[in-house]
Amino acid sequence: MIRSTTGKALLSIWLTLVIVAGLAMPMVPVPRTWYELPWIPGLEQKARIILFHVPMAWVTLVAFISAMVYGIQFLKTKNLDYDLKSVNAAGLGTVFCILATVTGSIWAKFNWGSFWNWDPRETSIFILLLIYGAYFALRSSIEGAEKRAALSAAYSIIAGVTAPFFIFVMPRIMSGLHPGAKGDEGGAAPVAQLHMPPNMLVVFFASLLGFTMLYVWLFSVRMRISKLEEHH
Amino acid sequence: MYDFLASNQLYIVMCIVLINWFGLLAYLFRIDGRLRKLEQSTYAKDEKA
Repeated sequence: MIRSTTGKALLSIWLTLVIVAGLAMPMVPVPRTWYELPWIPGLEQKARIILFHVPMAWVTLVAFISAMVYGIQFLKTKNLDYDLKSVNAAGLGTVFCILATVTGSIWAKFNWGSFWNWDPRETSIFILLLIYGAYFALRSSIEGAEKRAALSAAYSIIAGVTAPFFIFVMPRIMSGLHPGAKGDEGGAAPVAQLHMPPNMLVVFFASLLGFTMLYVWLFSVRMRISKLEEHH
Repeated sequence: MYDFLASNQLYIVMCIVLINWFGLLAYLFRIDGRLRKLEQSTYAKDEKA
């Protein structure tokens, strides 16, 4: 679907609408119409970041889990196409992970006063970046396509299992500054737990879907390039 | 700059959208570069043939 021109055009329009809605919908203390968002104490206008920062973390997870699934498929079939898919998914996941880290860090500067606070959420995403940095270091240090594919498939499975823990579990079971951390009940916590008004939820899920489809598009372009490189 | 952004928080969100945009654009340039290399080597092969 995403390879057709219509699909790409629809995705571009979809993401444009998400960005316009995310920036332009007014925030008021008591929303009365469908286009008004609630004023969230403690976050104020910064609450809108959930529409652009969380999808980056979500796509990171989707990419790392796909890399793991392709790794499993490679170990089952020994087909090098799956290795190519696995490394491309991990590469894209790293790009989205860096974007999630940078956007979160800017938000942290204005919410917590510093770009980096070693909050559990920041620490966990930093560890995730290190894990996938090591994945690419491992790949570049192994000679021989078969051996490289087998070792990196095994590594991507272990790394993929840790990704949901570092993105969803660890930051919620530890107390910290990030909304939704253990013990954070008031203020921004309801937003982090997705207790949002329906109109904000619609924009949020539209953003998740849009960026996921963008990932699918980028993945398909990257795969086509990798396949061409293989034949050269 | 900091004071301006702190008192006009919508611009912080706009900065975040722009960072996503420039990040993805940089990535697009990178894969475009890889594609260009492939095209050049293909054309070079064709010329030799």
